[in-house]
Amino acid sequence: MSTTVDPLLADNTLNDPRRRSPLVLGGLDYAGVTKTVCAVASETTPPPLWFLAFALSVSWAGVFGLCIAYLIFTGVGVWGNNNPVYWAFDITNFVFWVGIGHAGTLISAILFLFRQKWRTSINRAAEAMTIFAVICAAIFPGIHVGRAWLAYWLAPYPNQMAMWPNFRSPLLWDVFAVSTYFTVSALFWFMGMIPDIATLRDQSKSKIRQFVYGVLSLGWTGSSRQWHRYEKAYMILAALSTPLVLSVHTIVSFDFAVSQVPGWHTTIFPPYFVAGAIFSGFAMVVTLLVPTRVICGLENLVTIRHLENMNKIILATGCMVGYAYGIEFFIAWYGGNPYETDTFLNRAFGPYWWAYWTMVSCNVISPQLFWFKKIRTTPWMMLIVCIFVNIGMWFERFVIIVTSLARDALPSAWHYFTPTNIDLLMLIGSFGVFFSLFLLFCRFLPVVAMAEVKSIMVEHHHEDHGHGHGGHAHGGHGGRH
Amino acid sequence: MADTLDHSIEPQETVGRACVGLSTGLLVAGAIGLGLTVAIELLFGTGAKGFFHRYLVAFAFCMTITLGSLFFVLIQHLTKAGWSASVRRIAEIYTLGTIPLAVLFLPILVSILLGSHALYEWNDVEHVKTDALLLGKSGYLNAGFFSVRAVIYFLVWIGLARLFVYTSVRQDVVGSPDLTSRMEAWSAPGTLAFSLTASFAAFDWLMSLAPHWYSTIFGVYVFAGCLVACFATMAITVLWLKSKGFLKTAVNVEHQHDLGKLLFAFTCFWAYIAFSQYFLIWYANIPEETVWYKARLSAWKPVSGFLAIGHFILPFIFFMSRHIKRNSYLLGFWAVWGLLMHWLDLYWIVMPQMSSEALTFSLSDVTVLVGVVGIWGGTIGLLARDMSVLAVSDPRLPEALAFKNL
Repeated sequence: MSTTVDPLLADNTLNDPRRRSPLVLGGLDYAGVTKTVCAVASETTPPPLWFLAFALSVSWAGVFGLCIAYLIFTGVGVWGNNNPVYWAFDITNFVFWVGIGHAGTLISAILFLFRQKWRTSINRAAEAMTIFAVICAAIFPGIHVGRAWLAYWLAPYPNQMAMWPNFRSPLLWDVFAVSTYFTVSALFWFMGMIPDIATLRDQSKSKIRQFVYGVLSLGWTGSSRQWHRYEKAYMILAALSTPLVLSVHTIVSFDFAVSQVPGWHTTIFPPYFVAGAIFSGFAMVVTLLVPTRVICGLENLVTIRHLENMNKIILATGCMVGYAYGIEFFIAWYGGNPYETDTFLNRAFGPYWWAYWTMVSCNVISPQLFWFKKIRTTPWMMLIVCIFVNIGMWFERFVIIVTSLARDALPSAWHYFTPTNIDLLMLIGSFGVFFSLFLLFCRFLPVVAMAEVKSIMVEHHHEDHGHGHGGHAHGGHGGRH
Repeated sequence: MADTLDHSIEPQETVGRACVGLSTGLLVAGAIGLGLTVAIELLFGTGAKGFFHRYLVAFAFCMTITLGSLFFVLIQHLTKAGWSASVRRIAEIYTLGTIPLAVLFLPILVSILLGSHALYEWNDVEHVKTDALLLGKSGYLNAGFFSVRAVIYFLVWIGLARLFVYTSVRQDVVGSPDLTSRMEAWSAPGTLAFSLTASFAAFDWLMSLAPHWYSTIFGVYVFAGCLVACFATMAITVLWLKSKGFLKTAVNVEHQHDLGKLLFAFTCFWAYIAFSQYFLIWYANIPEETVWYKARLSAWKPVSGFLAIGHFILPFIFFMSRHIKRNSYLLGFWAVWGLLMHWLDLYWIVMPQMSSEALTFSLSDVTVLVGVVGIWGGTIGLLARDMSVLAVSDPRLPEALAFKNL
């Protein structure tokens, strides 16, 4: 055994340019990784905390369901929407949740193409979160159509009424973009999970679990031919998903930007929305993983370095969002269009000033705290910042949607929007759905991509099993990226 | 294992050995090119208007390559990248272009301070008084503030370029990995300063050619072009240096493949941004915004169409395959093509503002390009004559040498 402790193993947020910091701590080997991850989805009773959280989430999901039922029986008048604010909480919630749903596929596709090996510990949970967020998002336009039982009219299909949706409307492109994104993300998530589900199948003792995991693992044996196909498919799905990550929020931004509404129509919207989506998505991943890694005992896999890396991405995308706010304001003045200038002054100093400054404080100022390493690497501190970011990104959509509508081109029509209790309950309720699904995922599926984590610790396993460190002068060593 | 491969690095290979003669030649060609341009424009062309517009295209061409390289260096340190340690020095050397470009900007700056409005309509003080929109913007678009901003941009860029180049070159000798940590620490605020200065430079120098027009995405559009230009130039430079016997073991097909992938990715990113700008303006159809495209869809329509096909569709189809990116000749072809299309993109941004009724292609477009590229490239070559083309002591170099694509 080594007599000295490797400083990078003691604190893997330290940087030594000569070698990569370890991404798996606690001296875990292959078996250790399997044991750690499978323990989370084990057959023993989960901790009481899980039941408490689940009961709370499911209750709120139930409230959401009741609100939807009430809305369908009564009509969208139960919301605070008015004339001219025809879009309010419903579309805000939709854009908010779609935005959250961008981190997972970014991590599994774009960070994969960029060979960011640290993504392996977090991609599974982030992809799951993506799917659940898109589910939450899809509910809102579905019920906003008013007659929710006719929501299928959103899809173009030949019918005897010869009635088609408007192909020129970005709202229809949304239907395509979001459903494509959901399908590909779900496929990517499931396909990536097959080897790990097979591991759960092999580790399970209960007959029911063996059967269910057996069916879901599609007969995976781990043969080299299967791995070969799996890796090819993974690469293809990553390449296909990359433009999808950009396209979904680009099209969501088109919902606003193709119009002539001041504050909505501006050319920076597509990349600005994508940056904002990644920003909010990563903030939600950190918000979920900080407690999850402790409760599920994953500290050696989802290390402080993983969290720090995500916080750096949050800082970078937060600056991009701040850049977009600044450029919008500058061009609103520079463009010389009085309506545009007025809209922006109205945002900052009009009746919704409180929403605007909440947005700026949460989205632009709070992530600047991540310049300090202490805050980037201390779980409770980053959790606070990330919750602020989540709040700020919800307000960003609220500010964009409501301020531009509430004071439209006709001053006599101006109308202040106030949410009803149903609006608020539905917003909270959608979190209930999201957390319920995430808690079920933690309970029954592999929360960390075991096979992928093992793939980056190949040489680590051979070289320093049981040792502090070997002669790592060079990079290229798995497990240390 | 990586160690079984031959990773011995060639001893100090300086650019000087490769191109002191070439640099001098470039400088001479540059001077002749600029002289010829002045002669052609004054004798046969449109005088100062024609000269300055063509000059701006060539200046922006070199400027975008240089800024793209600066961003590349910053982002490699920001992400602690390993694969790029063997090609980063090439980008570092191109960032030295900020120095000759500061000098090359003087003709534009001086002419504006002297009150010329050959290039920028907003500098015509009498005209501005009669134009409500321009009068409204005159707090920003005026000769004094324009010059102050330009000085700030160049101070930031030259400062960043010198910081990164000379720290990296010092590491060649000292070998201390702490220098890498230092550059990494500077890269974050550096990227922030870069993005702000580059965006506003794009607004000032290119967008304000059409002073009534505005587009919030314009800074991102020019930034996308910077990266296309940078990756194309890096690929060409790597291939050229290898053909001269440099970087034989340090840069292999894997690095060429990666440069090709980045060139491909940012070609697509450029298309995404260009499409977003065009599409949103086309769809909303507001006259004060469509005016910019209107100037590009009359006489310039074939050029606009060719730009969409040449800058995106052709490389998207024919440069996607990994076999093409890994073939030196084909990579070289598409890099040259990308650079040509980038020049055309800049030409298409600048020239319709001078003449929207007729195409303006002329021999002086070539001579001015030779002139500016010659002075820019020649100065870079002389400034870098004692520098190694490889960051030989970079602590991540072994990782770059051992790296393989899937």
